[in-house]
Amino acid sequence: MLLKGQGQGLLRIIANNMTKKNFSSATAPALEIEPKKDVEVPTKISRINPLTHPDYFGVGKMFTVRDLMEARVHFGHKDGSLNDRMKPYLFGSRLNHTIFNLDITAEHLKRALNVTAHTALQGGLILFFCRSSINAHTVEKTAKECGEFAHTRYWRGGTFTNSKIQFKAITRLPDLCIFLNTLNNVMLQHTAVRDAAKMNIPSIGIVDSNCSPDLITYLVPGNDDSPASIELYCSLFKEAILRGKAKRKELLQEIENMEKEQKDS
Amino acid sequence: MISIIHKTVQSNILRKSLLNSYAVNRAFCKNIENSNVEEKSEEDKKISGFAKAFEKFSKPHIEEEISKEPDLPFATLFKNSKFVELGDPEGKIVVGKIFHVVEDDLYIDFGWKFHCVCTRPAKNGQAYVRGTRVKLRIKDLELSSRFLGSAKDLTLLEADCHILGILSSPAIPKTKTPTL
Repeated sequence: MLLKGQGQGLLRIIANNMTKKNFSSATAPALEIEPKKDVEVPTKISRINPLTHPDYFGVGKMFTVRDLMEARVHFGHKDGSLNDRMKPYLFGSRLNHTIFNLDITAEHLKRALNVTAHTALQGGLILFFCRSSINAHTVEKTAKECGEFAHTRYWRGGTFTNSKIQFKAITRLPDLCIFLNTLNNVMLQHTAVRDAAKMNIPSIGIVDSNCSPDLITYLVPGNDDSPASIELYCSLFKEAILRGKAKRKELLQEIENMEKEQKDS
Repeated sequence: MISIIHKTVQSNILRKSLLNSYAVNRAFCKNIENSNVEEKSEEDKKISGFAKAFEKFSKPHIEEEISKEPDLPFATLFKNSKFVELGDPEGKIVVGKIFHVVEDDLYIDFGWKFHCVCTRPAKNGQAYVRGTRVKLRIKDLELSSRFLGSAKDLTLLEADCHILGILSSPAIPKTKTPTL
């Protein structure tokens, strides 16, 4: 993607990204908008490149550390089930109960929400995972409300890696996997964590003190057992996705209007 | 002759690829020097002395203003939290709320990471419905222990508590005083 001029170049990047699809056999042609040289670039087009903005969707203001505490995000399991690789994310351990450092968690959560919103902006397919039976319905409802997908049941081994044969057609795999719970119902790491890494799909995961943070791209250290925490995460991810989608709709409308103006002129 | 042409072609390709990568880098990894996202704060009026005291004490005491504290670090919030106030959880008494009932099993949430599951007591059994507030004594906050041969603990994802009595129940009309 070459940046030719500032105004129309930035929009072309966005337009190119929006029409790009992963893993589909028919690739849609990228939108190429070349306004005539003597026509002025209309000032109403947003000149900010979403990728260079530090917080384009304002995800940093969506929650506070106090909100996380009230949702019980700082509670971890006991010391005996601690995964050594989770030690950097802990505030400490009080009477054998591990406590997460929510200042660190807040940073990670902001990053994860930013990635989610940008993925939604580019028209990415997002898949939620949660193998905790108490919270499965919350996650499925969240996915439905933001127009994305959820998988909270038994995961067949080859769903990502052997998709062409299992679905009997070339399948579009998700562009982002969000794990509300990285463990499955037998306390082993969810197969999809490893498989997403194999298929180069970025993953966001809520890692508790007994989970392994190794294979997850954007991890969020925190509690994954309480319904209150899961509800908070779901609401935040849903808000991020909806903001991304709204922005996408706005930008596509702007491009459409620009095209119409050029056709008229 | 051919080798010279090859070299120029190569250098052209190299230059183009560098330009492309530079453009890509500019798009993705640009350092933002002037990111003016924050709004400018309004200039505070400076009142001092009697005027300040008069304003402070003549205003009604609003609780919302107290809660609008600046974002405190987690360490401070945690130090003042109920969990730390609890101390050693074993034997402590807490208030829980029943959120699910399966015949004689009551699933009670008391503000901790896990819920606890208790059997319906014989006394006042019919009053234990969803929404009942109960008094609990904590026995263990997480039922997890190391079994022989395993490197890690096995958790049941549950706390262990004992029901002491009802504080309020939707099944009991409010005129009656609850019996413990």
